[in-house]
Amino acid sequence: MPIYESVMQEKPPIVLDIGTAYTKLGFTAEASPRKIMPTEVVLTTTGIRKRLFDYDTTEELHDQLVDFLQTIFFKHLLVSPKERKFVVVENVFGPTVLRETLARVLFLHFDVSSVLFVPVHLIALSTLAVPTAVVVDIGYSETSVMPVYSGVQIMSAFKDQSYGGSAIHAEIRRQLLEAGIKDDLLTESVLEDIKVRTCFVTTFERSQARIKDQAPPTPPPGVDYIVSDHDAVIHVPGTLRETVYEIMFEPSNERDSLPHLILRSILDCTLDMRRALVESVLLVGGGSMVQGLQSRLRDEMQHLLAEDSFYANRFHGQLQFKFFNPIGKQNFTAWLGGALCGATDLIQTRSLAKETYLKSEHVPDWSNLCDNRPTGS
Amino acid sequence: MSFMQPSPVKYACSCGILNPINKLFFCRHCPKLRCGYCVTHEIESHFCSNCLENIPSTEARHKKNCCANCFDCPCCQHTLSARATTVPVVRKSEESKDAKKPEDESGDSPAAASTPPTPASSKPSAVPTTKKMYYLSCLSCRWTSRDAGIPDQGVATGTWPDNECLYQARFNSLVEYFQAVVLQEKQEKMEFMRRKTPKQHKFPSLTDRTGLTVSLIRRQMGWNDKTIPKAKAVITPAEATAEVEELPADIFTEPLNLRNVTTIAQRHSQPADQPTAVSSLYPQRRTLWIKRSLRCRQCEHNLIKPEYHPTSIKYRIQLFASCHVPEVVMVRCEQSLASGKSNAILLKFTNPTMYDMTIRLLTTAPTEDAEPAAEGSRIKEEPVSSSPHLRAAGITLSRQNSTREVKREVTDVSNAEIVPLESEFVLSQRDDSKEFDEYVQLPTEEPKFIVWRKGNKVLIRLQFTPAEELPANTDVVLGFAMQYTYVNTVTNAPEKKEPTTHALYSRVFINAGATEQKAN
Repeated sequence: MPIYESVMQEKPPIVLDIGTAYTKLGFTAEASPRKIMPTEVVLTTTGIRKRLFDYDTTEELHDQLVDFLQTIFFKHLLVSPKERKFVVVENVFGPTVLRETLARVLFLHFDVSSVLFVPVHLIALSTLAVPTAVVVDIGYSETSVMPVYSGVQIMSAFKDQSYGGSAIHAEIRRQLLEAGIKDDLLTESVLEDIKVRTCFVTTFERSQARIKDQAPPTPPPGVDYIVSDHDAVIHVPGTLRETVYEIMFEPSNERDSLPHLILRSILDCTLDMRRALVESVLLVGGGSMVQGLQSRLRDEMQHLLAEDSFYANRFHGQLQFKFFNPIGKQNFTAWLGGALCGATDLIQTRSLAKETYLKSEHVPDWSNLCDNRPTGS
Repeated sequence: MSFMQPSPVKYACSCGILNPINKLFFCRHCPKLRCGYCVTHEIESHFCSNCLENIPSTEARHKKNCCANCFDCPCCQHTLSARATTVPVVRKSEESKDAKKPEDESGDSPAAASTPPTPASSKPSAVPTTKKMYYLSCLSCRWTSRDAGIPDQGVATGTWPDNECLYQARFNSLVEYFQAVVLQEKQEKMEFMRRKTPKQHKFPSLTDRTGLTVSLIRRQMGWNDKTIPKAKAVITPAEATAEVEELPADIFTEPLNLRNVTTIAQRHSQPADQPTAVSSLYPQRRTLWIKRSLRCRQCEHNLIKPEYHPTSIKYRIQLFASCHVPEVVMVRCEQSLASGKSNAILLKFTNPTMYDMTIRLLTTAPTEDAEPAAEGSRIKEEPVSSSPHLRAAGITLSRQNSTREVKREVTDVSNAEIVPLESEFVLSQRDDSKEFDEYVQLPTEEPKFIVWRKGNKVLIRLQFTPAEELPANTDVVLGFAMQYTYVNTVTNAPEKKEPTTHALYSRVFINAGATEQKAN
């Protein structure tokens, strides 16, 4: 199909992954996003910089999305969105108003020719060319677990919890405030920078020793972090570096820490799937790029399998947790999946075309009965 | 007038958003006010903001919107500049080898790079000739390309290596694999559909539906079967492993040096590999900028079209509102503002056009095109066909524009009562030569509210009363509709050449300032 390919080269579709904290953007069939930028808009009317998803009314969200996409198209991608195809990576359980507004902005304001919505967990898995895995997405606002078996998402086994990047930031802020650091130094960007540059997930043995607290292990050396805007120095204690990520592993009666979340999600799948899922775990999302997370998770889950009677009764046989190494970096794995998907013919056949959208001004959704009637047209 | 601070006078654009006049455009063909929100933006040309070179769009796409010659600092995103050093080259063949070796090494290791001329000076017997070598350096944060371990180049531009994507081969094979899988699925589906739908044939045959007849005949004729099972797309799937990357043991003992760890902005500026160590930062190719042209959504005429060349800041088409719509400037209020107390404001009107204007201030907007207000909808939409002529002729284009003009009703924020002016007044045309003439007050009969008049400018006095129930320290906003005559020199109909006069209006909101604290 030479004609088709030349058309593709003419106008490569745009792939967008709009996250709560960062937006990944680029073109299909490219191995990395063109840009990873904060999901923030500078409003053209008032000049205020704010997060894209802080809004009161749908109309406000609409205007913010227009401003945001305008920057993307004319400052970063430098292409006109008119008559172009789009791949949008979306959260399966994301709010309907977001995708409806996004579609409305893209179709009515920017006049794009088609939009293909792809679910984040499934599409992240496609970068591995394997059909089965537990996909754990550690994002900014939440952590979600979705088992995928033979290319099908097990919706009933979906689990999510609110510990993500923002919870880590809150924990760093809490510990630093306790240490007597002034509140106005601890802006969101400073907290993020401290998290990314100094913090890590400690080993299983050390965290156990810390919990049992007979002899807490000697903390790693502290770091002096310079806030250049305020000419101030924040001393980041070693215990902070080691322990902020513990909020993901805190044992509680709710059984909602990250290892429990993954194990319970696997338990919600049928018996035959469980072994395959245990042996294939994929961590994606910016939050999963921290040092030591994979080994800690593996040790925790192995420990729970052996020691926790709840899991010991339900999982049988010799089980060993295995992890995938994603191509590229975890924070754009889902975007990469979208770029792969957009490079195929699926963008022609599965997209929501402009003509279809204009008929009803509605985006088909898996959770909407109107779109999924068994006898429907 | 109001430089670097928000203008107190705002005009309502035809889409309902309030903007100061310097952010508005005026479509002469509609004729209506337009703002950045309700026009389509288009890319006119790509250029590099550093070397000001114009880059054609195909080349820009090929180069991933990056300039071929300019680089940004990976540390501070400042522009890098090429710096030259002289490196001695030795003529004699065996000695040149000796002399060159330390040179190459020095290019690789940043520590040794600071003292490049030492090896040659230690060999005074050879006749040294110098050669210029270049490296990139940031004048803002002192980062150099030697820090990244890039050897110095003999040419200043064009030869700098790109950092390759590590997993490009794997990615390419994944793309091929998925393309093959999807194509195969499509073919299977088509085959299925072909078998399922009965052929519209004169003599229907049961065996035809199974596709057996065809293959039988083909076999009898000695042809091989048409449906050769195609080779399935194969790829080695990724393998999960239990041997994950462990935490380095020295993280608990070694002090962390933050100077060697990249910040998140530095990582994101290099999205493909996102290095954590400062030493693996790589110079970034500078992204291009664009020149934009703006187009009216309704009539698809250009509002703004910049000149093609990057060094030029002029426009080929410029329909700024401030060149067509009378400008209102707030001069001052006569008294301090208090709720319920009558007051007067001085406003200066300026005519930017070459024709006289008649201006009338209305307290309420004319209602002739506010028909859907009765429906109570906040947003009214108006489908826009590509051209008004076609719409009038009842022709629909096959490739129709889906963008619609989303109109909002102007949010009426005014909270003061305006005493209407007794009559309309005339703004005379703009005449640049008159600016320098001796000003003579002509003894003409003027309406009472006109305070002062000179050339194309008129100062009027407008009486108003802030609303009774206004609390202290709130902004008083005056709202009125300004009706003005506009002489249009372009016409849509080609046979009519003489300019036509329109009576246009636009709603203006003036923020007169805050009410004063009540003294009691």
